Amino acid sequence: MPVKSNYVENTSPMFSILSPSQCEEILLAAQEVLERTGVTVHDEEARDILKKAGCWVDGILVRIPSAVVDRALRSVPKRVTLCNNRTGSRDVHLEGYNAYFGTGSDTPFTIDPYTGKRQRSTKKSVSNACKVIDALPNLDFVMSLGIVQDVPLLISDRHQFEAQVLNTSKPIVTTAHDIYGFADIIEMCEIMAGGVEELRRNPFMTLYAEPISPLQHAWEAASKLILAARKGLPVVYTPCVMAGGTVPATMAGVLTQGLAESLSGLVINQSTREGSPFIMGGVFTIMDMSSTIFSYGSPEFNLLMSSLADLAHYLKLPMFGTAGCSDSNLVDEQAGIEAALSIAMTALSGPNLNHDVGYIEYGSTSSLEFLAINNDVIGMARRLVRGIKVNDETLALDIIHKIGPGGHFLSEDHTMKNFKTETYYPSLIDRQRYESWLESGSKTLFERANEKVKDIIENYEPDPLPKDVQQKIRAIVERSEQKVVKS
Amino acid sequence: MSNYYEEISQNVITGQLDRVKQLTQQAIDAGNDPVEIINQGLILGMSVVGARFKSGQMFVPEVLMSARSMTAGMDMVKPLILSEDIPSAGKVVIGTVKGDLHDIGKNLVSMMLESAGYTTINVGVDAGPEKFLQAVKEHKPNIIAMSALLTTTMLSMKDTIELLKEEGLRDKVLVIIGGAPISQDFADEIGADGFAPDAGSATDLCKKLLA
Amino acid sequence: MSRSQYVRANYQVNATPQLKMLSDDQCENVLNGALEVLERTGAEIHSEKALEIFRKGGCWVDGNMVRFPSHLVEWAIRSAPSRIVISNQKGERTMFLEGQNVYYGPGPTNTYTIDPFTGERRRAKKSDTVRAAKVIDALPNISFAMDCGTVMDVTPTLSDVHAFQAMLENTNKPIIHWGFGIDQYQDIIDMAAAVAGGLEALQRDPFILLYSESSPPLRHSGEAIDKAIFAAKNNIPIVYTPCTFSGGVAPATMAATLVIAVADSLVGLVAGQLVRKGSGFVMGGLISTMDMSSTILSYGAAELSLLSAGLTAVARYMKIPMFSTGGCSDSKVIDTQMGIEAAFSILIAGLSGANLIHDCGYMEYGATSSLDLMTMDDEIIGMVKKILGGVLVDDEHLALDIIDKVGPGGHYLADDHTMAHFREFWAPTLINRLRFDGWKAEGSKTMAQRVKEKTQDIINNHKPEQKPESVLKEIQAIVDRAEAREANKR
Repeated sequence: MPVKSNYVENTSPMFSILSPSQCEEILLAAQEVLERTGVTVHDEEARDILKKAGCWVDGILVRIPSAVVDRALRSVPKRVTLCNNRTGSRDVHLEGYNAYFGTGSDTPFTIDPYTGKRQRSTKKSVSNACKVIDALPNLDFVMSLGIVQDVPLLISDRHQFEAQVLNTSKPIVTTAHDIYGFADIIEMCEIMAGGVEELRRNPFMTLYAEPISPLQHAWEAASKLILAARKGLPVVYTPCVMAGGTVPATMAGVLTQGLAESLSGLVINQSTREGSPFIMGGVFTIMDMSSTIFSYGSPEFNLLMSSLADLAHYLKLPMFGTAGCSDSNLVDEQAGIEAALSIAMTALSGPNLNHDVGYIEYGSTSSLEFLAINNDVIGMARRLVRGIKVNDETLALDIIHKIGPGGHFLSEDHTMKNFKTETYYPSLIDRQRYESWLESGSKTLFERANEKVKDIIENYEPDPLPKDVQQKIRAIVERSEQKVVKS
Repeated sequence: MSNYYEEISQNVITGQLDRVKQLTQQAIDAGNDPVEIINQGLILGMSVVGARFKSGQMFVPEVLMSARSMTAGMDMVKPLILSEDIPSAGKVVIGTVKGDLHDIGKNLVSMMLESAGYTTINVGVDAGPEKFLQAVKEHKPNIIAMSALLTTTMLSMKDTIELLKEEGLRDKVLVIIGGAPISQDFADEIGADGFAPDAGSATDLCKKLLA
Repeated sequence: MSRSQYVRANYQVNATPQLKMLSDDQCENVLNGALEVLERTGAEIHSEKALEIFRKGGCWVDGNMVRFPSHLVEWAIRSAPSRIVISNQKGERTMFLEGQNVYYGPGPTNTYTIDPFTGERRRAKKSDTVRAAKVIDALPNISFAMDCGTVMDVTPTLSDVHAFQAMLENTNKPIIHWGFGIDQYQDIIDMAAAVAGGLEALQRDPFILLYSESSPPLRHSGEAIDKAIFAAKNNIPIVYTPCTFSGGVAPATMAATLVIAVADSLVGLVAGQLVRKGSGFVMGGLISTMDMSSTILSYGAAELSLLSAGLTAVARYMKIPMFSTGGCSDSKVIDTQMGIEAAFSILIAGLSGANLIHDCGYMEYGATSSLDLMTMDDEIIGMVKKILGGVLVDDEHLALDIIDKVGPGGHYLADDHTMAHFREFWAPTLINRLRFDGWKAEGSKTMAQRVKEKTQDIINNHKPEQKPESVLKEIQAIVDRAEAREANKR
């Protein structure tokens, strides 16, 4: 057959919630909020930086002229790359519509896969979680999936980071209590990378900070944005807002105020050092007006996530999203529904770095089973966005003619050649026939996931960190502990 | 001297058609017993394939690729053996019942049976009781296998069994049935000898019934 | 404050978030592929009547092989209506099968059903269709009825007629229904005409769509194609739905699977349009992949959604209403997998803009129906419809004045603006957002337990609006007539 086209264009099936003109309208509205209403900044250094950049500072209230926001949007890089923390291999490209998935960090509780009990997360539970993340192929990066609570709490962030790097080689998004915690963690990273410059060139971690809604930057947050810029390391800045509580009840209002908070963070970061890598975040959702929870599974959560992704693409900013989480208090049908909706919407909309996979109970508890299950859901969503390839080979008109009416294609070479690449085969989703399913013990998806998780915990060995690096990291953790004891 | 059996069996498992043909020829040229080539090489490989399919390690197109390799080997060895010495696990007449044109499942069962060493006679789709009867008379199979996708057409299975009874042939042949609307209850109700929910277990069922 | 003292936009665009799985060029490629298959390879037709119609219409007929010249197929595509409006049984026009409007509903002819009270998996009885129809009637997001399982406790060849009676008596929603053959189709049309107040009334404001399945690849049984012809003759819209799965009855590539599905649909379309120009035709497809390990036709695979959205794109390209699939699962039990697969397929089918989306309540790769799953799907559809609503951007919703009034560090809980708008949030009924302790205090229920309670409550307490006694009698008389006919056949 003749070649019918002179070029092949690769596009993924994509969809958008907001049109470009709606994106523009929301951007302009957010700039108006910053210029008119302003934000409070609870850090003197940050206020000085903002003043120098041209903002109007009045006590702790800072109003940001639109020209300053425009400048920050021009200077921020469109793309950030994150690496494998052992090999430095550049695996995660936060750009365009690439959607990567990983866990979240701040759940106080976790479900013990052996007892099924909901308990406080510990260094051990975080270690196990990281092992499981490391073993699951569709998870691309790590957040600790639990707050370590069985060590001195003031320096638990250092323990949390140590537990992560010992058990996974995937890129890490890390929280810290304050800039001192970050300084220790960055020091650990520089040791692992083999130097300050090496870490900056091939970062395997990004820092994480949050403003407080509405429109406030606490000292912890502002100083982290400045530290990240000075170190030249990427930072995720993510407002967590709830419609009707800390932002207006209307979706456009949520997006406007949330974007204003992100952009003011961006201005602090870029005014410190232009060109610093910055990842715009945003967990935008509703406050459930009967239980008052911050909903991780509502349709509005999905709608806002996809809208924010549209805004991020419009602004050409790398984006930190949220998916694979649930309001349900256990891993049940609801958890499946909410995870499937958020993961599919995320894959279609293309925010880049998507966290909180494995969260249940509106983000209060983590479940390793849910994580393993979502590994399959991510696989399904990725198959969907790979789309349908249409060309002579895939249209297969000759094969269809050869088989003709009433035949079958099972034993064709064409089938053999294509069935595995054209079709996604999940690992825990069950497609046995009823009788085989009965024979294999009539297990639910959760039961199969539980078996898999236990198998990983007991048998999986992550790539080890060199002994000397382990020792140096340990020394930093111990040093921080001594400081706490002294004070 | 190598007798090639191990290598033949390995290449049946990986579905390397050309390699199986080549090795089979070499085994023949080296003077190996043709029946042994079949039993120790070709069929042995295929039985591993069957087990792997059942445990989910292999997929249908791969099984069929292996089956194709095995058959190619068989075709080379068969002329060297007296026909009654050719190992066959049994003979099965198979078809989709009257009124039904859906035959993907039936074809799959037929291919699985062949790959497990059975000889199958495929009477096609829309096969009424007479067509099955004729095939039984002509081919004298151990088993007839009927398939249906529709709840209406499955009723025709009973008619076939009744006709076999009338003709005095019911005792001479085993009857197995399958297809989406079929269940063990239905098999019991119409007096079939067995029911299998899928192609893999149809093979197991035949093995069990003929054991 | 209003940011502008004048209305800045001179028009407002109403757009729904939509997923387009194929570009227009890709749609054209797939359609051309199907046209080439029909013109070169052709289809096998097992009906003398249909062969005669095709011959007269200009097809190349050779035995029961029919090849279709492209110009004829293209004429049929142009001749079919781009919109079909379906009414409820009271004659109110409720389903507009046009553009990207989506309507969800259950599916037909499952071999088994799960008893909603005992949990037993068994063959369906007429009383199960009665229950199904009641549940369909009560659920707000289920827009049409189908039988949810082949009824096995009646005269076997009248299972379709009895199921239709059970649905007419227990719901007023539109019905999509199958039949074994032409006799039964006549019974069904007669019953529907009795409800609508005559055949002509039914033809103008149809509340039924007939349903026919061909046997891909490229093979059409007498019953399947004759039903398409019958529907066109009687001027009742038909859903013509080949059941195409990649790797089995189509090549393993997705594009080729679409080609087979489109080609097989077009065969039904050409038959209908040759009988009556402009007769209502809804293009089908159950379209998915064959699991190469278990050999099931998967109802939960990502490829079900991928292919359905692809086929919908081609249908929209041809401007023919589309019958798609969602809300179904391969799971054998109500569990997390079921939630995942149902939600995934409902979302993607909704985003793709398929007009009719069937098979809500299908579990076990379609072998079994579950009213519980249908109830759960109703909730998921509610969520997806909220997403399909998109985001409204105007001064009131941007709320800059409110943001300025509240300012940094305040809250919106007590604001009038919040009061005025928080009801725009989607309100869950089965999705649970209780805090952990409250949830524990209420018995630590799973969603499956809440769903079960709701389904049972509907069956026990929902009272569908009854039809007049005279209509019910007329329906019964038609059922009796059918019974007598079938008794004579034996």
